[in-house]
Amino acid sequence: MSAAAENILEVRDLQTQFNTLDGVVRAVDGVSFDLARGETLGIVGESGCGKSVTALSILRLIPPETGRIAAGSIKFEGEELTTLGEEAMKRLRGHRISMIFQEPMTSLNPVLTVGTQIAENVVRHMGVPWRAARDRSFEMLDLVRIADARRRLDEYPHQLSGGMRQRVMIAMALSCDPQVLIADEPTTALDVTIQAQILQLMLELKEKTGTAIVLITHDLGVVAETTERVVVMYAGRKVEEAPVTALFEEPLHPYTRGLMRAIPRLDIEADAAGTRPRLQEIPGLVPRLTQAIPGCAFAPRCGFATERCRLEAPPLIDVGAGHTVACWEVDRVRASAL
Amino acid sequence: MTAYIVRRLFATLPVMAVVALFVFFLLRFAPGDPAAIIAGEDATAEAIAAVRAKLGLDRPMVEQFFVWVLQLLQGDMGVSIFSNLAVTRLISQRLEPTVALTLSTLFVAVALAIPIGVVAAWKARKLVDRLVMGFAVLGFAMPVFVLAYVLIYFFAVQWQLLPVQGYRPIAEGLWPFVECLILPSVALGVTYMALIARITRASMLEVLAQDYIRTANAKGLATDRVLLLHALKNAAVPIVTVIGIGIALLISGVVITETVFNIPGLGRLTVDAVLKRDYPVVQGLILVFAAAKVLVNLLIDISYAFLDPRIRY
Amino acid sequence: MTAITDDLALPPRRFSLPTAIRRNPTITFGAVLLAALIVVAIFAPYIAYSDPFKLSPINRLRPPSERWWFGTDQFGRDVFSRTVYGARVSLIVGLSVALFSSAVGLGLGLLCGYFRQVDSIVMRIMDGLMAIPSILLAIALITLTRPSLGIVILAIVIPEVPRIVRVVRAVVLSIRSQPYIESAIAGGTKNTKLLLRHVLPNTLAPLIVQSTYVCASAMLIEAGLSFLGAGVPPEVPSWGNIIAQGRTFFQIAPWTILIPGAFLAITVLAVNLLGDGLRDRLDPRLARRL
Repeated sequence: MSAAAENILEVRDLQTQFNTLDGVVRAVDGVSFDLARGETLGIVGESGCGKSVTALSILRLIPPETGRIAAGSIKFEGEELTTLGEEAMKRLRGHRISMIFQEPMTSLNPVLTVGTQIAENVVRHMGVPWRAARDRSFEMLDLVRIADARRRLDEYPHQLSGGMRQRVMIAMALSCDPQVLIADEPTTALDVTIQAQILQLMLELKEKTGTAIVLITHDLGVVAETTERVVVMYAGRKVEEAPVTALFEEPLHPYTRGLMRAIPRLDIEADAAGTRPRLQEIPGLVPRLTQAIPGCAFAPRCGFATERCRLEAPPLIDVGAGHTVACWEVDRVRASAL
Repeated sequence: MTAYIVRRLFATLPVMAVVALFVFFLLRFAPGDPAAIIAGEDATAEAIAAVRAKLGLDRPMVEQFFVWVLQLLQGDMGVSIFSNLAVTRLISQRLEPTVALTLSTLFVAVALAIPIGVVAAWKARKLVDRLVMGFAVLGFAMPVFVLAYVLIYFFAVQWQLLPVQGYRPIAEGLWPFVECLILPSVALGVTYMALIARITRASMLEVLAQDYIRTANAKGLATDRVLLLHALKNAAVPIVTVIGIGIALLISGVVITETVFNIPGLGRLTVDAVLKRDYPVVQGLILVFAAAKVLVNLLIDISYAFLDPRIRY
Repeated sequence: MTAITDDLALPPRRFSLPTAIRRNPTITFGAVLLAALIVVAIFAPYIAYSDPFKLSPINRLRPPSERWWFGTDQFGRDVFSRTVYGARVSLIVGLSVALFSSAVGLGLGLLCGYFRQVDSIVMRIMDGLMAIPSILLAIALITLTRPSLGIVILAIVIPEVPRIVRVVRAVVLSIRSQPYIESAIAGGTKNTKLLLRHVLPNTLAPLIVQSTYVCASAMLIEAGLSFLGAGVPPEVPSWGNIIAQGRTFFQIAPWTILIPGAFLAITVLAVNLLGDGLRDRLDPRLARRL
């Protein structure tokens, strides 16, 4: 258990809700986790499980007309963010906590040069004159290994490829030496080969700058390669948390197991006829989040579910070595084959 | 970039050619006998023939066309049937008031409507927004001359703050000049403002929903920078387009506004010419107005290159 | 394994008028207002309590009162009756222009979208026509002809057609580039069948929306022309005419201008609202957000 002083980010019982025509959607329903200084934390789950909303909630980027943080606390270096004034939040964003998004094609402003978009961040938060900010932009482009950086400064986003744009996003996010970088599916929209490059880049930069990273993704492969610790989310709740090796060696939550089983595997031998075993999907659908779910959210789709699971939400059980899981039937799950 | 400008310039030529052709053929192919109508109800056969000769309608069509085109290219737009003055001279005499009115309306409308639209988009669905949209809907439905009379009734007749009508050239002093232009500009400009405010709001709303605005907010940038630099610059192209389209509204409105406020400009000239059936003057005015509109649209096309780098490169 | 319950609740599909009204306030308001005005126009002889042409110099320039609801003009004519009859002209012009320009515009737009050669010629002409401000275009034709309602309608149709052609053409072009049209052509479907079954239905929604705007525009242009004295003949009571005749004595009898003016504004507003409401409703992107 890391000492409290080591945690740069502490999220406790976060609840974020949206007002829709069909009612109140509980996108994040009581999620808690810590992020240690310099650590890489992965948040994984399928679309709609609330992982992006969690990230947006940390930076309070949810538009007030659409939704709000209904409950919970988010502490950054000991400071409570949920009650912080908007001006103070603005000073934090892009400066001490940065965020990059999934779609590099549309996340950069098409009518401003790359250099301007990076430099304005530096000017805003470091208060340096424009010249100095431009030099810093050049440094950053160099850091993310964009060739011919001087020329690129004055180019527009549409003149760059997808991979390069994502590098620019990273450069922009790191321009003011943030303590936390939140990356929301940074490689999902990129080609596989570029994906690998970007992830590699992120790891190297992390070594250099010591920034803690929250990496949000639905891709278990990315998680395995880049993160140190993983949080698994389902229907707005955290269902499992473990160091990455432990998670892959022995996933404890039925949902996590389901996710692992759905990954195509190259190491299973084909039989005599040349066929491999079927990929096992998780049957059923994610629950609608407009109603409060009394029991375990995964119960309707779970092979181990009991009556208790349907009625009572399981708490997070600590099984040791930083591995927690929210399941009543964890012993049965453990005993069964992977 | 220069290639783009040159291309746009050349694109205006066919348009003006069509306008010229239309004006030419209208006289020759209008239903009924234009010469008789121009000559008037009780005209004698000789009078009608005289009009026909004056308009050059008695010559073979091909000859008419070439003579006419040659004249046009030399800047000669014909002669007024009634005053026998050169059309070009008539037009240049009345140019100043119309230009003053149009420009002042243009600047005021754009200067007011764009900020209003930006604020409405920023505070979407709140009271400010609903008020702006309400004004936009009403303003667009309000006929220019009705609004003009409403304004005259209150500001000139009842409260006597501004002159009822008339025009003072700038040579006679700045305040009299401005004073006479206030009510006409407002009457003319409201419809234009409604149009611009609406499109500004709509365009800004679309832009504010884009991912790059989310990125800008995630960088903690100041609100006015996000709105004005990040958002408005992207919203600019449709706004500028509508400003160009609205020029047509402005020109149509000028004719009516000058009539209501008794301003001796091109609009009044048009009305006088119509009522007297002085076709050469109407023809000249159409060419001038169309050319003005085409010029404005050309400037707008060129401005796109400055606003959106994707067009440039 | 537990049974999977699919608890997606779909909204009821039966059409209910109260809900439709609640969900589309703009269309309702515009349509109701417009319908009221159409009723007034059709039943003008029954609604107007006196003859709009009757001169009565002894009663000239009376302010609105119990006897003359909207007052009288400088010839003693009852403004209320004239205004009511004026509705006829505006509505007839507005609706006819909308109808004719839609018909012509639809035809031209379909041709342009479909046949490239036709397209380049016709669009050049349309661009040229659009360069001339509409009121001037109308004025040009009117200068050369004997004034009548028909001529006014024709003169307004001409500048409005290009707008419709543009809209229809845009729809046709976008549909033509769809893969399913390509496969239909490859399968040997005849042009006429393609046009009728695939292209035409998709043009109807934008066409209807545009034609409401054309209607509003036509009413404004007609009123403007009549106001300038270049529209319908002065004997015919058009709102523009009535306002024009009220100019001389405006300062002492403002009701002769302000009241017909208000009617004109309200009518145009109603048509605009109808158009806006229809556009919001029929635009497939926005329709999902109910």
